[in-house]
Amino acid sequence: MAEFKVPIGPQHPALKEPISLRMTFEGEVIKDADMRLGYNHRGLEKLAEQKTFIQNLYLTERICGICSHSHTTCYAQGVEKLMGIEPPKRGLYIRTLVAELERVHSHLLWLGVAGHEAGFDTFFMYTWRDREVVMDILEIISGNRVHYAMNALGGVRRDIDDLQKKKILDSLDLLTKRTAYYANIGTNEPTFVARLAGVGVLPKQTAIDLCAVGPTMRASDIPRDVRKDDPYAAYAELPFEVCTANTCDVLGRTIVRIKELFECYKMIEFILKNLPAGDIRVKAPRRVKEAEVVSRYEAPRGENIHYIKSNGTDKPERLKVRAPTLANYPATLVMLKNGYIADIPLIFAAIDPCVCCAERLVAMTDYHTGETNIVRMSELRQKSIEHYKRVNPAKKEIVWPF
Amino acid sequence: MTDNEIINKAKETLGNIAIEITNPAPRRIFLKVDKKDLVEAVQRLKQGLDYNFLSTISGLDKGEVFEVLYHFTNEFAVLTVRTTTSRNDPKIPTITGVIPGAILYERELQDMFGLVIENIPDPRPLVLPDDWPANVYPLRKDWKYERPVEKIPGGE
Repeated sequence: MAEFKVPIGPQHPALKEPISLRMTFEGEVIKDADMRLGYNHRGLEKLAEQKTFIQNLYLTERICGICSHSHTTCYAQGVEKLMGIEPPKRGLYIRTLVAELERVHSHLLWLGVAGHEAGFDTFFMYTWRDREVVMDILEIISGNRVHYAMNALGGVRRDIDDLQKKKILDSLDLLTKRTAYYANIGTNEPTFVARLAGVGVLPKQTAIDLCAVGPTMRASDIPRDVRKDDPYAAYAELPFEVCTANTCDVLGRTIVRIKELFECYKMIEFILKNLPAGDIRVKAPRRVKEAEVVSRYEAPRGENIHYIKSNGTDKPERLKVRAPTLANYPATLVMLKNGYIADIPLIFAAIDPCVCCAERLVAMTDYHTGETNIVRMSELRQKSIEHYKRVNPAKKEIVWPF
Repeated sequence: MTDNEIINKAKETLGNIAIEITNPAPRRIFLKVDKKDLVEAVQRLKQGLDYNFLSTISGLDKGEVFEVLYHFTNEFAVLTVRTTTSRNDPKIPTITGVIPGAILYERELQDMFGLVIENIPDPRPLVLPDDWPANVYPLRKDWKYERPVEKIPGGE
């Protein structure tokens, strides 16, 4: 049987963002995967050089919608270092609070997408319903559901009062209960676990070589987290653990994210109960002396890194942004290889498996010899059962993670 | 490992390859090497100091020269290896032989700054469109974008 190439994207009904995947299949096995980027390239780094430091705060907010707080925090704490100002403690705590709430909403969103792509739509509906609770909390704090605009150079823009605190803590109880339920369902429900286990394997050494980041890396048993390794904002004072899994597959990535949700709730509760009194921001100068800084942030998807260089004016000389997804692309290509067409959406988590709208077989061509035989449906079924027993030994040795 | 321990170990491992080592902020170390020693330096840092994780590569247009910054991270500190290449002959060796994950960042450098990455395994453009004019590199300081005049059909 010949190999055939199938382009997926850049415009595809199931794609949330334009990206072009070029897949080479042999039967239904992915033999090679290639990717073309740039359909969403907006020239943002060039634009940042023409805007002032304050304007860039709003520009970086618009890099991404899901993790809008990540980029502004990464940028703001870098510029604060360049300016030599230190935000007040209360400001840093509120910044961290919004960051963790954002992680909760992003992880709940991901869980829903994973459930949807695995064909478990009830799970998707449940998690997205509860995600609304976090969105409401974020709206209570910032007035917005997506672009929170909480950061300012030198602190945050809005304070929180006791009534808001109480509302958030009440909602947190509900979220903790619901997440415990998802942890139970998502990791003990046999069909769901069987669908996720052994799919998209990324061995530990490959993850290191290809510089993967975030939950993808932590699911390959590498306990690396910027919040722990290079504490920024208030993380040095918060109680939390770095969550890892050792299965190196999609199941591991699900477990890491569910575990991280519990850590988030723990941190949010700690922040609200130990919020220091005082100002929320300090005044920032307009001009910045010539210097350079490397700023890091643990976004929900992984390490986010900004390199900022100033030249003595009110505009940056250079702003380099590296978002976590770019770092995970080379690893994704490795995960896809030797997988099945049906695993593409799970591995890529955003692509619908429309490519396998294949016709039902009546004539079966032998892959090795090229002979064509007409087979009965029952024979074909028997052959497929035998085939799938052979192909994925990882599925047979699934150990329930909880 | 503290910053000072990393700096001492880096000096020991790299010998005279390291031109300058600075430590402007806690957990941030900047290291300067010549571009002919770049691959050797990256190799030694990977083996000797366990810097096997490349976060990203930043390019910088400094007029006469381009500066390229390789940001390596581990659990102790960010080590930035910087090297320069001249504008007339902007060649830089690839480090994908040591760090395979560097490929996308090197392709981005080629696109945005017009650097020539020598022996790069996959030289295709990464972020710019297919019909982008040749020898135009947007992140160079001499490139300015002019918004084309908007023509409204039927308008003035």
